[in-house]
Amino acid sequence: MIEVKSLTKTYGKKQHTFTALDDVSFTIPDGASVAILGKSGSGKSTLMHAMSGLDRPQVGEVIINGEDILKLKTKAVDKFRATKMSFIFQSFFVQANETCFDNVSLPLEIAGVSHAERKKKVTAALEAVELGDKIKSKAKNLSGGQKQRLAVARAIVNEPEVLFADEPTGNLDSTTGDVIEDLLFGYAKRNGMTLIIVTHDADLAAKCDIEVRIKDGKIESISEPRKKEVTKPAPRRIQ
Amino acid sequence: MRLRDTIRRAGRSLKNAKARTLLTSLAIGVGAFTITLSLAAGTGGREYAGDIVSSNTNVRELYVQPKQDTQGSVSGPQEYDDTPSMSFGGGFSLKLLEQADIDKITELDNVESVTPVYNVTPKYVTRQGEKKYQTTVEAFLGTIQQEYLAGNGDNVTGETVVIPDSYREVLGFESARAAIGQTVDIVVSPVAAAGGLQDKTYSLKIVGVTKKSDLAALSGQSSLQASNDVVKEMYQYAQQGTPIENAYMAATVLATSEDAVEDLKKNINDQGYDAQTAEDLMSFIFQFINVLQGVLIGFGALAVLTSIFGIINTQYISVLERTQQIGLMKALGMRRRDVGRLFKIEAAWIGFLGGAIGSGLAFAVGTAANPWIRDVLTLGEKTNLLIFEPWTFAAVIIGLMLVSVGAGILPARKAAKLDPIEALRTE
Repeated sequence: MIEVKSLTKTYGKKQHTFTALDDVSFTIPDGASVAILGKSGSGKSTLMHAMSGLDRPQVGEVIINGEDILKLKTKAVDKFRATKMSFIFQSFFVQANETCFDNVSLPLEIAGVSHAERKKKVTAALEAVELGDKIKSKAKNLSGGQKQRLAVARAIVNEPEVLFADEPTGNLDSTTGDVIEDLLFGYAKRNGMTLIIVTHDADLAAKCDIEVRIKDGKIESISEPRKKEVTKPAPRRIQ
Repeated sequence: MRLRDTIRRAGRSLKNAKARTLLTSLAIGVGAFTITLSLAAGTGGREYAGDIVSSNTNVRELYVQPKQDTQGSVSGPQEYDDTPSMSFGGGFSLKLLEQADIDKITELDNVESVTPVYNVTPKYVTRQGEKKYQTTVEAFLGTIQQEYLAGNGDNVTGETVVIPDSYREVLGFESARAAIGQTVDIVVSPVAAAGGLQDKTYSLKIVGVTKKSDLAALSGQSSLQASNDVVKEMYQYAQQGTPIENAYMAATVLATSEDAVEDLKKNINDQGYDAQTAEDLMSFIFQFINVLQGVLIGFGALAVLTSIFGIINTQYISVLERTQQIGLMKALGMRRRDVGRLFKIEAAWIGFLGGAIGSGLAFAVGTAANPWIRDVLTLGEKTNLLIFEPWTFAAVIIGLMLVSVGAGILPARKAAKLDPIEALRTE
């Protein structure tokens, strides 16, 4: 379970202060998919950064599995991100000059996973996104959709508990976008992973269990969980 | 992140910027090249000088002269001294050693033998039916290394002589082998011909012919070598009637072992003489080589210093270029320390490449140049002036890697401090 309690983040000093997040609180049950919906500048990205420990808001708590990650030391937050979280970005951020294998292997290397273990997991992750045949190809030779699938593989390879996706389909046409959405929702459901999608796309948000609408750093509305069947997470394995 | 994975990733990043990596490495390679070559030249030079010392002198040998009173400063009239001396006028005279001095030194500890330095310049050397040639005769010392074309130096006693190959040729022997067992005539005339003394001819049997040594430039291996007794006789015959008949400019003292040389030197000096070891005599050569090597290494160090700025620049550009990658790695949980280490290792790779390229090139060039240097400087046949020792490569490469890591610290710190949120915003 993720509890966000009265998060407040301001930029600047004295009369020039700008409040990016203003007393934001909500709760996400384990294994739920959540859309953080808002226009650009609404504070949705800042919220994501705070929830993942990349940013440190002045006030508030982010409690994941009973632990306030904002109170952890940098080293511990880094370890938390390396082992329990992952990210997908709008512009993929795959390393063009590296092979698919090396791209997907990066989070495991950061987490200090052994070489043999890495090989197994990377292969499985690439097969899960149907890029098993591209294992040795350079990322720059992939199409946009393939690149984002590669990013998905990189995001799921360390079997995270929480996956943050920042406009995951923003740079893709609707057909390839749908493929990525299916991959993400399918994987999250099968593995009981919490999926947090930051987007301004109402259609994508509608597919999530919970919609958190955010405007000017404040929560506008939180929808009731659409589906209640998320109860017991399945064993954490990549299918 | 494991060190091995970091090293691999660092290597891959460099491979992705081949031209830049290579150029930066070449800059540091210039320094590596110079330093490796100067180390090789130093080693080769010292070895060459060592060869000269051992082929011209014996390390167990000390060169002993009387202590001169007026070293350097000749001012005012000097008091008369009854000991034998050579007077050069102007109040300057050179003291000589007497037999009593020789006996005194012989009785010291660790002395194997004392041989007065006899410098005999006979009138000429010749043999029947051949022309007369100028020469000098030295006492044969079995301890000096020399190469024999024929015969050997095992039995230079009595009326025997060892001649250089050049004399063998002019004296009309067809080959070195043919000269063995033949005799040459050495004619000595007294310096003070007052007593109506005649020239005296010494007929000596050739027992050895020595090869012209390339290393013997500094001493008289171009002179004839006769047994000590014969040379002494010649010396006394030539000097008879003069005040210095039984006095010598110097004596060579042979120590019982190499280890005893330094003690013996001190001992002899305490007795009021001036003793110099072979090393003392040759020390100027080593000093010269060391200074030269130091200057060369200085140039290399300067090149390395310049390349440090190149590395800093390259790494800063690399950090800027890969802002987004660094942001991603930090978002994925890579620790600051690991990010910094990644960039330091990249710098180390550049240093390794530069060191390997530079020292490798130095080895190739040096090895190729050795025969040419030998010809130009007419060194000995097997002498290499550039000697590469394996440790120098290791030292140069490791040293440059450390220097590069030092240069990479600032850019690495910049990378480590990068804010991932800012970094991921750049596109």
